[in-house]
Amino acid sequence: MRDEKKKMKCPDCGVEMNHHADKVDYSAALKDPKIMDPDLGGVVEEFHTCPECGKTHSRKAT
Amino acid sequence: MNDSQPVFVPVILGTVRQGRMSEHVANFVLGELAKRPGVETELIDIRRISLPVNNAGEDIKDTQFSATCNRADGFVIVAPEYNHGYPGLLKHVLDTNLKEYIHKAVGIVGVSAGPFGGTRVIQGLLPVMRELGLVTIFWDGNFSQVQKAFDPSGNLLDQAYHRRLEKFISELIWMSTVLRYGRENVPAQ
Repeated sequence: MRDEKKKMKCPDCGVEMNHHADKVDYSAALKDPKIMDPDLGGVVEEFHTCPECGKTHSRKAT
Repeated sequence: MNDSQPVFVPVILGTVRQGRMSEHVANFVLGELAKRPGVETELIDIRRISLPVNNAGEDIKDTQFSATCNRADGFVIVAPEYNHGYPGLLKHVLDTNLKEYIHKAVGIVGVSAGPFGGTRVIQGLLPVMRELGLVTIFWDGNFSQVQKAFDPSGNLLDQAYHRRLEKFISELIWMSTVLRYGRENVPAQ
């Protein structure tokens, strides 16, 4: 398991979410080239799911 | 994971065409899913999702469709085969979401007037599903010569479709359940 940075909290129920996926968003870098990861050619988006309500939320990896 | 919470597997009716036979198929699949204990389902008719056609992608997200997809654990996509491909408006609708699909199960039901049961539309959709972050199951639904499978009122004429869909639905429920556990409990590596 990799080191987790600060856990994302579910905006709906406040529970710590599970970070289970990453995906490169190529179009985000088109809008703002400064945020592009030069190795991956886009911006890594993290996906987190709440174990309480099941909703998924995402955030940009930093 | 809240085990008492049913898995939610909506059925997406993937065509807006007038006279669509896929509507009968979608309603039939919906009924078969609803018979299963621990499963909740509903029909998502893409005709009811009003999207502009002068833009595309997440910029034109429909709030209700997004919320339904976010709540879903898996999906059935009922897709007719038009000119050997999937309906363009189905893709237009699917492209409005992303995070809502990640690590969720999907099964595809192909519909055709000809003898091949929509196999070509299924093959066309598979790479799209993958890129959207959905996890495809290895069973498909195939409705060949759909005009003979239902009467004009949508009553099923060929009862063999009950058995033909049994394993498809079982596999989809299993995958939806497993992936829900994974999303909620298994961290990324």
